[in-house]
Amino acid sequence: MTIPISYYLILSAIVFFTGVMGVLIRRNIIAILLSVELMLNATNINFVAFSHHLQDLGGQVFVFFALTVAAAEVAVGLAIIIALHRSRSTINVEEFNLLKW
Amino acid sequence: MTFSLNLAFSDLLPLLPEIFLTFWLCVVLIVDFSFPRVPKERLAYLSVAGLVVTLGCLAWFDMNHVSGTLFGNMFVLDRMAIFFKIVILGATILVILVSIEYVNRFTLFRGEYYCLVVMSALGMMFMVSANDLLSVFVSLEFATLGFYVLVSYLRDDLASNEGGLKFFILGVLAAGLLAYGISLVYGETGKLVFSDMASAQPTPGLIIGFLLIFAALGFKVGAVPFHSWIPDTYHGAPTPVTTFLSIAPKAAAFAILLRIFLVALGTFKPIWVVLLVAVSILSMTYANIVAIAQRNIKRLLAYSGIAQVGNVLIGLAAGTKMGNDAILFYLLAYLFANIGAFAVVIAVSQAIGTDEIEDYRGLSRRSPFLAFAMLLFLLSLAGVPPLAGFIGKLYIFVAAIKEGLYTLIVVGLINIVISMYYYLIVVKQMYINEPIDPSPIAISGPMKTVIYVGLAGTLVIGIYPQPFTDWVVSATLMFANFVGPSVTIIPPGASLGG
Repeated sequence: MTIPISYYLILSAIVFFTGVMGVLIRRNIIAILLSVELMLNATNINFVAFSHHLQDLGGQVFVFFALTVAAAEVAVGLAIIIALHRSRSTINVEEFNLLKW
Repeated sequence: MTFSLNLAFSDLLPLLPEIFLTFWLCVVLIVDFSFPRVPKERLAYLSVAGLVVTLGCLAWFDMNHVSGTLFGNMFVLDRMAIFFKIVILGATILVILVSIEYVNRFTLFRGEYYCLVVMSALGMMFMVSANDLLSVFVSLEFATLGFYVLVSYLRDDLASNEGGLKFFILGVLAAGLLAYGISLVYGETGKLVFSDMASAQPTPGLIIGFLLIFAALGFKVGAVPFHSWIPDTYHGAPTPVTTFLSIAPKAAAFAILLRIFLVALGTFKPIWVVLLVAVSILSMTYANIVAIAQRNIKRLLAYSGIAQVGNVLIGLAAGTKMGNDAILFYLLAYLFANIGAFAVVIAVSQAIGTDEIEDYRGLSRRSPFLAFAMLLFLLSLAGVPPLAGFIGKLYIFVAAIKEGLYTLIVVGLINIVISMYYYLIVVKQMYINEPIDPSPIAISGPMKTVIYVGLAGTLVIGIYPQPFTDWVVSATLMFANFVGPSVTIIPPGASLGG
């Protein structure tokens, strides 16, 4: 028995919205970074499901690139977080409120 | 399913500028760490030399009509791509020249700064050539990764850290939205290349997917309601990076928007015109009203930039070839005025150490040249004849009138008046108020060059726009046979039921 594609799409939508809510609600920068990873991985589920459904390799190729981009983003993000932690000794986004309007 | 790659060496010609710039980037990096005693100023000139050669190569392509696609339609070199690449490279050269003095404020990694600037420029060159959603995603992130680091380059400065953090969080959020949107579009159409999507039907999944992609690109160009990172990031970032950020990524993102809206989404024009009109009105009105309250010149220019994006979106909403020509022309005029204005800001902040508008009092006594240059740049941004910004605004409004977007024109004209007010606040500080400290301000050679280039561009394009309009008209020839479904915008007050 094959699993219909809608199951994959619902799963990826749930993961994606968990990620979006995480970015909007969490206050710890590491948690925000993890939530973004969830969003990108939801995308990967979508791509693999569609790729299989459409019998087209384009989607699977996209997944490789999405993984690479996600890794690069995390590397840069962690570097910024370390620099922040050195100067402010906190990584809570609410503490960064110097610039307004 | 098998893939085959048949690529002759000569097929790589359209990619030559990128290949050369990648090579040159490595050269600059190797020189930087192999010869640590070499003054960093020389690295700047070394990078500029590479960029100038690339620019020459592109000019040669433009004159000889070199064009083509590579890698299964993922990379396209057409005249529009060449136009945008020239604009981006020009901006990069000017930004490196204004950075030379500023870089001394960095405690570490002064050489890598130039590499990162060139790397971001390289990413943006790929962005404007992106012809499918995969290359859009990869090149957009490529360009933005360099900017994440550049914005937080002043490591000991809290504002720079905070600006970098906000930019990073919203940037990766936008990347997530973009990727998810692309996956939905791919699922609905089975295609990634723009031109293959042209016959798609507007299904709900496709519309949601494109809305997500539009939101992500809206983050990049900084249109309301996706603008929240712009003021803080522009304020916190080192000023040369702000300069770069306010021109090049916006131009590159507009190239992608043009391709998506006109090539991939041409048949959906009645749907997206409404969206673009709304975003354009919001951007212009919100940014111009908030800009009045600003005390910091970088934040003022940030909000002015959001308002300018609103103006450019008018041209996109027109959705005709003339609208595209107007967008290209406007971006060219905006490049010179904005880079000039930021160069003055950098020169002043080098001398007096602040960016507050209050501290510009009496600038005309301290440095008549800087004050006069700033006056012209601000007037060009506001759209006063006979400067470049005026022709740009006129071009965009005429394109919109031809499509009957009268509401947009009225809102645009009201906004010009509002923007004039806050630009003139700066002018009043410079010319009417007396300086507290009347000592003259010294300007370095490279900075002077950039300001002269900005002045020349602003005046020449404004007084004699003919060659430039010819250039943009020929750059968008590929849209000449674009005939979207004609649009009738419902005039305000008319009932929808009728």
